[in-house]
Amino acid sequence: MSRLLPLAIVLPALIAWELAARSGLWSPLIFPSLVKIFNELVSFFSKSEYLMEAWVSLYRALGGFGLAAAAGVTLGMVMGRSRWAGALLDPLFSGTYAVPKLALFPIFIFVFGIGSLSKVALVFLECLYPIVIVTSQGARGVNRVLLWSAQNMGASAAATLRRVVVPAAAPFIFAGLRVALPIALIVVIITEMVSSADGLGYLVIYSLSSLKTDRMLAVVVVIAAMGWALDKGLVMLRNRLVYWEKLETYYV
Amino acid sequence: MKVFLSFFLVLFSVTAAAQTPPTIRFGRGFAAEEQLWLMSVRKDLTPNQGKAYQLNQILFQANPERFQAFIAGELDGGTAPGLAVIFARAQGVDMKIVASICLEASGPGIFTTQYMVKDDGPIKSVKDLKGGTIAVVGIKTATDLWARAGLLNAGLVPDRDTKVVPMGFPVIGDAVRTGKVSAGTFVEPFYSAEKAKGGLRTLFTAVDAIGYEHELLDIFFGEKFLKSNPEAVRAFLSDYVAVTKYYLANTEQAKTDLHKAGFVRTPLPVYLKTSDWKRTPDGRVNVDSLKKLATFMHEKLQWLEKPVNVDAMVDQGYLPR
Repeated sequence: MSRLLPLAIVLPALIAWELAARSGLWSPLIFPSLVKIFNELVSFFSKSEYLMEAWVSLYRALGGFGLAAAAGVTLGMVMGRSRWAGALLDPLFSGTYAVPKLALFPIFIFVFGIGSLSKVALVFLECLYPIVIVTSQGARGVNRVLLWSAQNMGASAAATLRRVVVPAAAPFIFAGLRVALPIALIVVIITEMVSSADGLGYLVIYSLSSLKTDRMLAVVVVIAAMGWALDKGLVMLRNRLVYWEKLETYYV
Repeated sequence: MKVFLSFFLVLFSVTAAAQTPPTIRFGRGFAAEEQLWLMSVRKDLTPNQGKAYQLNQILFQANPERFQAFIAGELDGGTAPGLAVIFARAQGVDMKIVASICLEASGPGIFTTQYMVKDDGPIKSVKDLKGGTIAVVGIKTATDLWARAGLLNAGLVPDRDTKVVPMGFPVIGDAVRTGKVSAGTFVEPFYSAEKAKGGLRTLFTAVDAIGYEHELLDIFFGEKFLKSNPEAVRAFLSDYVAVTKYYLANTEQAKTDLHKAGFVRTPLPVYLKTSDWKRTPDGRVNVDSLKKLATFMHEKLQWLEKPVNVDAMVDQGYLPR
């Protein structure tokens, strides 16, 4: 029953949209009807070139996210467990967290080119911050009793890290990853809208330039569905790995 | 006493409202629209302004945003490339082109958009762009259309043989020089600045690509506004034509005034030296060129799902005779 609860908001919103679209108060170029958006959605899934654009965006997003996850978790663990590394890197990450890295995109284009690499690099940078900061908090806050117990039982530093610190910080690591994953998708779409010849962001801007709002919104629905599926996959993975502290969401 | 005062107050308000000319909410861009900007800077050149109409120019960075504002009822008219109006008409937007601002044309002292490559690079002809990338300023813009036309002329298939990517004008020069793109689109003042640096040469121009002189920027109005405010539009266009003639006859002074008013950020000496697009003194629209463009967009580029009736899209009846 609780899984159906979000429909209490979504359904009235969709009905309100359709009523607004059919009211004639707004141009269909601003408020296309849901039927038109649905037709464009059907058309999207029936064209292999559109599916290819989705794949391009997905691999760029996951590429940058994967690299950020690997680097971010490592850096976060080091910052959390080493006072010296924390003192060195904490001000750097905290001080530059609010910088909109998207503003650096023109520089990234010059360094990495117009293709996928500049987009993956920017996704990496944007995703790195939440992963590092949340992971370091988790690693820093490991219960001392657990650490002392491991040391008393003769565990080596590597074993303590593997058997105590990483599991204890795992909920934080996944929290950072969950924050970063939608950022990856958002950054990819925006960079593709700014400068790209492919990807879903390109399709958005292409549809917008043709005043095809229904097609543009269909692409937005696809992007939202991708974000939802990716988050669901990540939560399922988290609950499998961190089985002692399951996360309850409406869909997992 | 109070009743008398209220009566006179209401009467005064109604009379004042009746005397206030209609305000034209006009969406403008940031390039090649000198005559229109001058209408706001040099009101002494526009005798009808304030009497037959009031002008409120609103800056937009790109066409889609300008059209969305128009569709949302926030604008009465504006400037737009001819091809953007063709797109809008294809989607059923009720707008009409009423005057020309400038054209892509060739000739002495006339500027036409340039597509440039590295001077010492391997690209000697458009055919050499196969496997390369060409930078345009936006998808489905005029710069995109010319790039695709140039590629098609050379037997290349855009997107398949050569990628077409959007990029801001200010960075295209460096992108070409560093080899990030094979060719790029250059308009003034970026063209003059890059030519002065050296190392780039023109591969083709917008006129080369299309093969004929054609409309670049036009003035459009919503059909409802045209019907409800015909005298205001006539007065506006009468001033517009007068300012265009002034601009063509006194270009240096006009450019200096625009620069002083902050409409142009290019250093004044550079701005004064740059060549200009072709502007017709009477504001008449080259309708044939729009028809050819619409056919090209429909048949060659498949940008339009169905043909657009260009004759129904242009109304020059509001221009002074």
